[in-house]
Amino acid sequence: MAVAQRSGRSRYRLLLLILTAATLLTLDFRGFGPLETAQSRVRDALEPVVSAVDVVLGPVAEVWTVMFSYNDLQEENARLRDEVDRLGSADIRSAAQQDAFDRLLDATGVTYVEGVERLTATVLRDSPGNFDDDVMSIDAGRRDGVAPGMAVVTSAGFVGRVETVDAVSSTVTAVSDPGLVIGVRLLDTGDVGLGHGMAGDPTRFVVDAGLRWPETGDPSELPAIGSPVVTAAGSRYPADIPVGRVASVEPAEAGLAQLVTVELAADVQDLGYVTVLLQTPADEAPVGPDSPFPQESP
Amino acid sequence: MTALQSLPTVLRSRRLLAGSNVTLTVLRLIVVYMLALLFQLTFFSEVRVAGVAPELPALVAVLAGLFAGPRHGSLIAFCAGLMWDVYLSTPLGLSAASFAVVAYTLGGITEDLFHDTRIQTLVLVFAGTAAMVTAYALLGEVVGQRGLVDDRLLRVVLMASAFNAVLSLVVAPAVRWALGSTPARSRSRRREPPDAPRKGR
Repeated sequence: MAVAQRSGRSRYRLLLLILTAATLLTLDFRGFGPLETAQSRVRDALEPVVSAVDVVLGPVAEVWTVMFSYNDLQEENARLRDEVDRLGSADIRSAAQQDAFDRLLDATGVTYVEGVERLTATVLRDSPGNFDDDVMSIDAGRRDGVAPGMAVVTSAGFVGRVETVDAVSSTVTAVSDPGLVIGVRLLDTGDVGLGHGMAGDPTRFVVDAGLRWPETGDPSELPAIGSPVVTAAGSRYPADIPVGRVASVEPAEAGLAQLVTVELAADVQDLGYVTVLLQTPADEAPVGPDSPFPQESP
Repeated sequence: MTALQSLPTVLRSRRLLAGSNVTLTVLRLIVVYMLALLFQLTFFSEVRVAGVAPELPALVAVLAGLFAGPRHGSLIAFCAGLMWDVYLSTPLGLSAASFAVVAYTLGGITEDLFHDTRIQTLVLVFAGTAAMVTAYALLGEVVGQRGLVDDRLLRVVLMASAFNAVLSLVVAPAVRWALGSTPARSRSRRREPPDAPRKGR
């Protein structure tokens, strides 16, 4: 009898815990302000301790990393030497390409984030979890003027968006995250589409919504391989931030749409420093790959 | 009697807390959990094997389920998951729900079987962590989180569980200390009334 009562109370408690979790999940999904503030306060309170422990344990972690990535570093070193040699012999070609790119920029009016206040931040640490490969922490927060939704870039291009902002730190979701949807423009054709990262490949990005396959079927109307892709003016980020270059174009949706794979311009892994564009993001309805694309595509 | 003074009395009368050293137990649990969390946030964000880190919050939750039973273990696991959720990009409550359900189930299944031997702890921590990580990923997909269930899930589950099983050799004594338990006593023995006649005498 006592055992049955105890078991009943245990089940009752578990039910209460599950209901509490469901309530928190619902509130979090709806962006309940006090809940986000409470989480931010907890992180703020612990940040000095986390930073102190990081300073103490950082060297030990570095030793581990060096021990187990020595072979990788050797391979990377060799690869970089090859690349330096190749670049040395190809400087004339690259100068010509740069000239062509500059002219293309002039022609299309691309100005890579001019007139937007910037803030350089250090990448503090990668995500602590096993399912957040595309999340990183930076050492700039509310006190520095950072706000959720701001674009994060490097000199190479778009890196991600600010997700959560605490007093002195923030988390950034990288462009490689499949859940981060970005409005992009293909400079070669002028088409605008929606894209997102590819699961398991942090170097690729796929544009799978908003791009129609040419009715004539003429391949010349498709974006050229290697042509630049930038953020679209209608996206929630400043326009014309380089995203990457077209790697492949395939038909999708029974040949009615284009599936454009993009080689990301910025390496979002092992970043040391990033730049936050301190421009308040456009307030727009959340969009996703499954949502209907806005009608105002050119 | 002030409200603050009456709170422990009310809690004890409802048998939510038992014993005089509840505050001390809670404080010790907080210390152990915060140490685990700090290691997870700093050291193990760098130190990974095949790209996978251990899940120390899940480890504490599993051990709480084993050492404290389904009733108290599920509550401790819920709190551990909730604190962990604060640092994850997934919605608040996801880890908390997964941890609580698995700790409750694990604590219930092993209630009269668990004898707190090293090998049992290793095996159950492996199984419990695997269940927690899988439950977290599945529940996340159910509520619309992308990229949790994919071809690397199995690798993450196996590696994190193995990592946790090894680390349980260090963390289990700490959790046992926090709960005021000793390795010599199994839970089935602890549930005997204090004046029960001892076998062999």
